Amino acid sequence: MIQTTPSMTAPVRLPADELVETPSELRRALRSLFKARWPLLALIVLGIVGFFALFGPNIAPKDPNRQTLRARLTPPMFAAETPNPDYPLGSDALGRDVLSRLIYGARVSISVGLAAVLLGGFVGISLGMVAGYFGGFLDDLIMRIADIQLGFPFILLAIMVLVVLGQSVANLVIVLGIGQWVTYARIARGSTIAEREREHITASRAMGANNARILLRGILPNITAPLIVIASFNVASVILSEATLSFLGLGVPPTVPTWGGMLAESRDQLLGGSWWLAVFPGLCIVLTVLSLNVLGDWLRDFLDPRLRGSR
Amino acid sequence: MSKTFKRLLTLVGAGALALVGPLAVSAQAPDDDTLVIAQSVDVGALEPALIGSRAEANIMAMMFATLYSIDDDGSLVPYLATSYTQSEDGSEWTFTLNEGLTCHNGEPLTAEDVAYSFQRAADPANGFTGNTVGFVLPSVKYLDARADSDLEVTIIMDGPQSEALRLGLLSEVYIHCKDYYESNELAFLAENPVGSGAYRFVEWRRDEYVLMERVDEFTLRQPAFKRILWRVIPEASTRVAELIAGNVDIVANVPPDQVRAINDSGTAQVQAVAGTRRMYVGFQFSEAFADSPGWEALQKTEVRVALQYAVDVPTICIALLGTECERASSMVNPPNDNPNLEPYPYDPAMAEALLDAAGYPRGADGVRFRTVLMGPRGRYLNDVAVVQAIGQYLSDVGVETEVDIRDWASDYVPLIRQKNVGPLFFLGTGGSTWSALYDMADLSSPTAGTNYTNWNNAEWFELWDATQGVDPVTERENVNRMLEIFYNDPPWLLLYFQPDFYGVSNRIEWQARRDEKVLPYYARLAQ
Amino acid sequence: MSTYILRRVSQSIIVVIGVTLLSFISLHLAGDPTYLYVSERASNEEIAAARVALGFDRPLPEQYLNFVGGMLRGDLGTSLRSRQPAANMVLERLPATLELTIFALVLAISLAIPIGILSATRRGTPLDSGIMLFAMFGQSIPSFWLGIMLILFVGLTLRWLPISGYVPILQPMLNGDFATAIDNLPNALRHLILPGVTIATFSLSRNARLVRSAMLEVLNQDYVRTARAKGLSGRVVVFRHAFRNALIPVVTILGLEFGFLLSGVVVTETVFSWPGVGRLVFNAITQRDIPVVQASVVIFSLVFVTLNLMVDLLYARLDPRIRIG
Repeated sequence: MIQTTPSMTAPVRLPADELVETPSELRRALRSLFKARWPLLALIVLGIVGFFALFGPNIAPKDPNRQTLRARLTPPMFAAETPNPDYPLGSDALGRDVLSRLIYGARVSISVGLAAVLLGGFVGISLGMVAGYFGGFLDDLIMRIADIQLGFPFILLAIMVLVVLGQSVANLVIVLGIGQWVTYARIARGSTIAEREREHITASRAMGANNARILLRGILPNITAPLIVIASFNVASVILSEATLSFLGLGVPPTVPTWGGMLAESRDQLLGGSWWLAVFPGLCIVLTVLSLNVLGDWLRDFLDPRLRGSR
Repeated sequence: MSKTFKRLLTLVGAGALALVGPLAVSAQAPDDDTLVIAQSVDVGALEPALIGSRAEANIMAMMFATLYSIDDDGSLVPYLATSYTQSEDGSEWTFTLNEGLTCHNGEPLTAEDVAYSFQRAADPANGFTGNTVGFVLPSVKYLDARADSDLEVTIIMDGPQSEALRLGLLSEVYIHCKDYYESNELAFLAENPVGSGAYRFVEWRRDEYVLMERVDEFTLRQPAFKRILWRVIPEASTRVAELIAGNVDIVANVPPDQVRAINDSGTAQVQAVAGTRRMYVGFQFSEAFADSPGWEALQKTEVRVALQYAVDVPTICIALLGTECERASSMVNPPNDNPNLEPYPYDPAMAEALLDAAGYPRGADGVRFRTVLMGPRGRYLNDVAVVQAIGQYLSDVGVETEVDIRDWASDYVPLIRQKNVGPLFFLGTGGSTWSALYDMADLSSPTAGTNYTNWNNAEWFELWDATQGVDPVTERENVNRMLEIFYNDPPWLLLYFQPDFYGVSNRIEWQARRDEKVLPYYARLAQ
Repeated sequence: MSTYILRRVSQSIIVVIGVTLLSFISLHLAGDPTYLYVSERASNEEIAAARVALGFDRPLPEQYLNFVGGMLRGDLGTSLRSRQPAANMVLERLPATLELTIFALVLAISLAIPIGILSATRRGTPLDSGIMLFAMFGQSIPSFWLGIMLILFVGLTLRWLPISGYVPILQPMLNGDFATAIDNLPNALRHLILPGVTIATFSLSRNARLVRSAMLEVLNQDYVRTARAKGLSGRVVVFRHAFRNALIPVVTILGLEFGFLLSGVVVTETVFSWPGVGRLVFNAITQRDIPVVQASVVIFSLVFVTLNLMVDLLYARLDPRIRIG
């Protein structure tokens, strides 16, 4: 039978072995592999993307929606026989500048990702904390709603809501936000239940602090670590969901440049050989999502108290 | 545990090998007796009175015969009927049927069955919503049908109408046998059709395929292929990949940017035909849009004429539709159009001059006025790109145009049906090769369901009413006069007749038609 | 145990009813669906007649109560477009979707576990870094994109596997026709590989990383170290002690994973022309075939709820610390 209770023996210093390491060795190993180099690289990538997102309109060479039909499907400069300096990364099926669309796309894709996560996080954490703190009927109600949503494949919900509300950036943010609140709510609820019974909370309750104050000042700061980790992963998954919805024709309107939308649009051009329409937005998505995941991993290890050995 | 795990790994490895073994050739290529056609959507029901989309109609038309039919060259030819006569007032049409007709279950097909096919579709108790009851019957002003003898059936309609128009429409009613269709439930019939045409139904696997088999005894049409397999492949890239791989013979709606890949593949070629669907940008006249940007300006005939010069239609065709096309001079397909009308040329300077003269000079920011152009996604050839390109051309002459794209099925269709689109909207409506009046029937009255712009030119509608049931020469004169009115007081920004691209495997010989129908009676294996 | 199951079942009923109410409201909020059922050239009278024929002229609460009443009698209504019982249409398609999702699930789990273990036991080596980098890539590729690339490369250029289409296994088995099912098996598997890989890639990548970190955590616990100190070999420790405990987080997300895979089928079924529920319900939503949407939603959530119940029971077996009650 398996043994699931930790052994009672005191920790002994073990011989160095490939399988077992002490926390400090583990940290060192992780630092050497992921922590030091990869997360730094990820941070740099995200910094560049963030820079584009913030200052896109100032640095993009062209209006991302300016079309020139006669210059459609111009190959990127480095791959063309007669390089066209007007289109450093080529032009798309309507003769729009791919580079400018990528830069503007960073702004839309990133802000959609962040806004959806903030929305989902806000709704989820508030409801989760309320459910965990007050318990009883409220808890039941909120968790049943969460169950209903989990019983509903996200994509169906997204399709339905977008069909109903129509397509716009705001509606996309709402849909992607709704799609996530349950995750945050469950984690927040669990942590809140654990925190509720801790001494400093019971003490401040005894001193007559009101519930809102306890929730905001007493509990929230202590439960944010795992939520931040989840959020970093979710920004990545939102960017992917946006691409998927674009494929189904339910992303942002086609006049708004996003990476997912560009990738989805490129599929008709693939057989025709216009690879740059897919490769550049694809690369942007993969690099950003990859960086967010690497950073999320690192953040989890860093914030995880067991690895930090603080509790 | 360790042993189990090892075994598991071995099993996974063996499984993978077993799969790789037979990988070598994935032979799906069709046999010589079978024609494979890929369409993007499935039929909803194999019910002749519930057919709405082109894809559905293609499948049904191969199984269900009609009184007359429209041949590949666009002419009306006899089919189940051999001839017809009209009553003096043009309201009763009597068709004479071929002798010895049967339905696919062996039931004799007589005049009674033809009358029944009309009556069943029209019966409100059945609650049908398809093309027959929703469009064909009201358009011919159908009242009733009766069998006069075994071989003579009379369709009773309200008053006279253009002969070709009415005959063409009546040719869209699928004939089926009374005994079978009366003695079974609708739900059963929808999956077990018994037809009257060249192919009999064999199998339908939803969202996968419909398989049909030639009726060898049927002599009115004698197609070469023994079987037709209609596959459903929703994604365009997948359809084209299957065509190039040689697993599919005919693919409709090839994206223009994939044409070269198909032509270079060595296994298939693309046929481009000048379609009959009229693509246009409608100007909304309804007062309900009075507060919309640009509406007021667009009410001026001079502004609507000026905008005709602003859009470079030939370049849109070459760049986005992958073919040269002639700009439309009216709503009627050539050769039935008015030969005296020249298509508006692309002349942005002229457009700007006319807009200046109309009282809309460029402001300090270069903008004359702002407006919104609505358009669908996923309905017409490269629709999203074309709408955005038109928006750009209009903005170029100072009419700052915001493009508003909606999903076709869920969003745009309901708006169109309620005429709730504008101030500018992109649309295409089906046309014909056999009747100018069919093409003009969009604007049969100021309140007609298809008068999406709510255009109300009194002269046009007077002439329309005066043209019903007149002799061909007068009809021609009136049509030409009306098209001139249309040209000079345009409710549409005239664009093009939508070209259609069909990918056709080198395995077969087949000629695509102009009217978007895929009716492969004449398809055969290449020599 | 039986009270637990009873409670879970009653919760499930609430979930199913909530899901139908949600989708009913959504579909009707967008306005009168009648316009999607009439011809391009229909007149106002024809549209009004169609509205009555389709039942959309009734007040919304009445329409919904009619639906719930039918559902309680086991009748999920009739498709407005095809005139077939909506439940049949969904159940007909369910085997194709289940084949795809089960195949993907098996692929994802059966590869994720050994890969995750391998990566954990070789932590810090180039192999580990390579696997993890690959896994992260797998999590960054949109599935429609992967699907189209697989079609163009594996299907069209290499001609190794079929581009699209479906060969049934489950349906003949349900009909008791095992001979056909076995005959179909090799061909069916070849058709399953590309769509299966398309769906599984994301889960495979995520689970491999999950298994790896769970393994690392378990390997680091006192009792494992004790076992090693007692002189048990590395392999025994990995498999007897660590592996089983590392499975727990994987099993926990299994139920959710299935729901997640079901989400992926809408896109994958479209790309590979796979005749499953995903496409059915996507089309039904865009065409407002409300009974079909409702039937799919009910059946989807039933499948989901049942699976999660099973997962909870399995979970309890794996980890005695967890009490069901």
